Amino acid sequence: MSTGSGTSMDAPAFISSMDAGRVLARRERRFASALLAPAFAALLATTTFPLLYLIWTSTFRIDLAMPFTNGFIGIDNYRDLLADSRFWSSLSVSMIYTISTVVLQVAIGLGLALFVMGMKKGQGLFRLIAILPVVLSPAVVGMVWRTFMLQPEFGIVDFLSINAGLGSQNWLGDPTLAMISVIVIHTWQWTPFAFMVLLASLAALPDDIYEAARIDRASAWQRFRRITLPLLRPAIVMVVIMRTMVALTAFAAIFTVTGGGPGTATEILNLYAYRKSFTELSIGYGSALAVALLVVTIIISAALFAVRRAK
Amino acid sequence: MVFRSTRRTFLKGSVGASAMLLGAPAFLRGAAAQDNDLAPYTSAKIDWKQASGESITVAVIPASYFDNLISIAPQFQELTGINVRFEKIPPAQIRQKCVIDLTSKTGTYATHAADPMYYALYAANKWAEPLDRYLNDASLTDKAWFNFDDIIPAWRGADSVDGKLYGIPYDGEVTIQVYRKDLYEAKGLKPADNLEAFVANAAALNDPGNRIWGAALRGVAGAGQNMYIYPSIFREFGGEWFKGGKLTVNGPEAEAALTWYVDLMRKYAPAAAQNWNWPDIADAFSQGTIGAYIDAHSSASVVNNADKSKVIGKVAYARWPKGPSGKRVTSIWNWGFPINAALPDKRKKATWLFIQWAASAETQARTSYKFAGPAKRSGVNRTSVWKDPAYIKLMSSFGNNFVEAAMDSLQHDTDVDWRPRVPQWPAIGDTMATAIQSALAGQATVKAALDDAQKRIEPMMKG
Repeated sequence: MSTGSGTSMDAPAFISSMDAGRVLARRERRFASALLAPAFAALLATTTFPLLYLIWTSTFRIDLAMPFTNGFIGIDNYRDLLADSRFWSSLSVSMIYTISTVVLQVAIGLGLALFVMGMKKGQGLFRLIAILPVVLSPAVVGMVWRTFMLQPEFGIVDFLSINAGLGSQNWLGDPTLAMISVIVIHTWQWTPFAFMVLLASLAALPDDIYEAARIDRASAWQRFRRITLPLLRPAIVMVVIMRTMVALTAFAAIFTVTGGGPGTATEILNLYAYRKSFTELSIGYGSALAVALLVVTIIISAALFAVRRAK
Repeated sequence: MVFRSTRRTFLKGSVGASAMLLGAPAFLRGAAAQDNDLAPYTSAKIDWKQASGESITVAVIPASYFDNLISIAPQFQELTGINVRFEKIPPAQIRQKCVIDLTSKTGTYATHAADPMYYALYAANKWAEPLDRYLNDASLTDKAWFNFDDIIPAWRGADSVDGKLYGIPYDGEVTIQVYRKDLYEAKGLKPADNLEAFVANAAALNDPGNRIWGAALRGVAGAGQNMYIYPSIFREFGGEWFKGGKLTVNGPEAEAALTWYVDLMRKYAPAAAQNWNWPDIADAFSQGTIGAYIDAHSSASVVNNADKSKVIGKVAYARWPKGPSGKRVTSIWNWGFPINAALPDKRKKATWLFIQWAASAETQARTSYKFAGPAKRSGVNRTSVWKDPAYIKLMSSFGNNFVEAAMDSLQHDTDVDWRPRVPQWPAIGDTMATAIQSALAGQATVKAALDDAQKRIEPMMKG
């Protein structure tokens, strides 16, 4: 920009300084857009275009099993969707899954963070161990849990359950247990993320406030309730937002562990959209389901961001 | 036991990974003694070299019956001058991958191991070539040499849509009873002749305290899993898929059939069997924990695997037990080869030559009893091979009554209406699989599950 500003400085005196400023600003904008253009075009091509195409597709009937029925049908897919009981049941499974995993992750992650903050030694090692599940692929996590941990008779979890006197359970064969299992798996994998973020925020809290509180003889619970929680609030809300978006669009772990079963007990909305599109080959309706998931995710995220701004 | 399941998991995973890497044909070092004389092929009165120089890609599943074909594929290249590249895709993904290839008309796979239930879909979209044209073209096929009528009739029927042929069967299977001879004899039981007797046998053997369960059937949800075994039961109970021209999956016969399945699985199968497919059943049977199962005859090679099985010499076979309708209904499963309609003409010819070679009596023999490697195919496509003494000798080593049970099933128990053969099958199969599993898991009653499936299937059938 140095040459640009140089020229406007050398401009004849009858150009007022205001004009010079405007020329400068225009040039700067032009240069900025030139810099932005490639990234913007790439972004358009890879995210916006497919998204618009998805919405466009969702207004067609595209049924590979009956190609002669294909064609534009407007909002009919959405009308069907509102009357589709499986859509509503998969949406409620998604909600249960999201709310319980996010609450558990934040609660356990915060507990762990407070515990580790109090540790005199071994913090580094604990952090290292805790981060391991996060770096695994969800599909691998799913396979490990399915075969190693939850297999009746042979799995580690079942072994513990038998020894605890609870008897052998069919962890993935019973609708309720299967739902609990997939929630536990997601929580197991992603709690370390909440833990790491909250631990970093805890470490950054100012010591003097706690000192003042101690001088005022505030109890541990009071300090936690009145100081730690309010100060951590931005971090907690951020973790909730990020984890909610991921949980709503989760796929790989459930797909490998239960495939949505038994029956449709763990079929989240994402999985239903996948099955409609790629197993049942009903691409138009599948796209409408994907759009519905997008809308739900946007609404919930917007609500959470509003909460974040509220105070 | 925990250790065993680790290895299985590892194998499952590595199969998926190796599928990505395996582009080039895998040559079997041990196949040095393999018969590689081309004379049996050159006696056909066609020009095998007519598409020389072409390259084709064939998608198959990772299974020993295709590995044997891959290992002798260099003979095909020598015979025809056509380059063949094999790509191994696990069964769970091959249907989707091939449908995506066909619908995008990229012609990536000249042919692939096709699920017979998908031909109606292929035909409706004109994705696959009708094969009669190739079969009747004297420059492409020597009819006397190829002897198409020798191929098992039920499998030819399964690979045709409205009388038009879309795939040539390469390998197939029938479902039969596999049971523990020693346990049956100890209790004075006979192999079940009807479904009631099958349940009674299972009840007599069931002893979970001593880690013996009476029976097991496929429990995991999937069009090719629980919806592979249930259709036989449905048909045996007198079920008709098309009642008055309308696809019907509920009603009294369906309820009776599903109730029978759910009762058997809940009372006499291990709880884990709800998530089992056939390899899991065969593994458990190999470990001596299952009294009997009904599944593909090809699983006999797993329960007779000297490295893993503890029940060798204790296995015997029988046909399906009869249902209340008096029928025995086996699967008509086969892996066939269609021709991708998106290919240029010359490559279609090359593909046909490959299919003709793979399905010919000579190649069938060379991948089965004449094969030099340890795993010899048991699902050959031709009646003549099934009757060949050398083949019968090989099959008899699997246990008592194996050849007889498999042959009788092939000749008498096959049923072209085993499953509803319509283009909507992928959706119907998935819907039924979910319904069967939700009844088994107790998420819904048998009647509610079937009625819900019916409600979901009806709009799929409407144009």
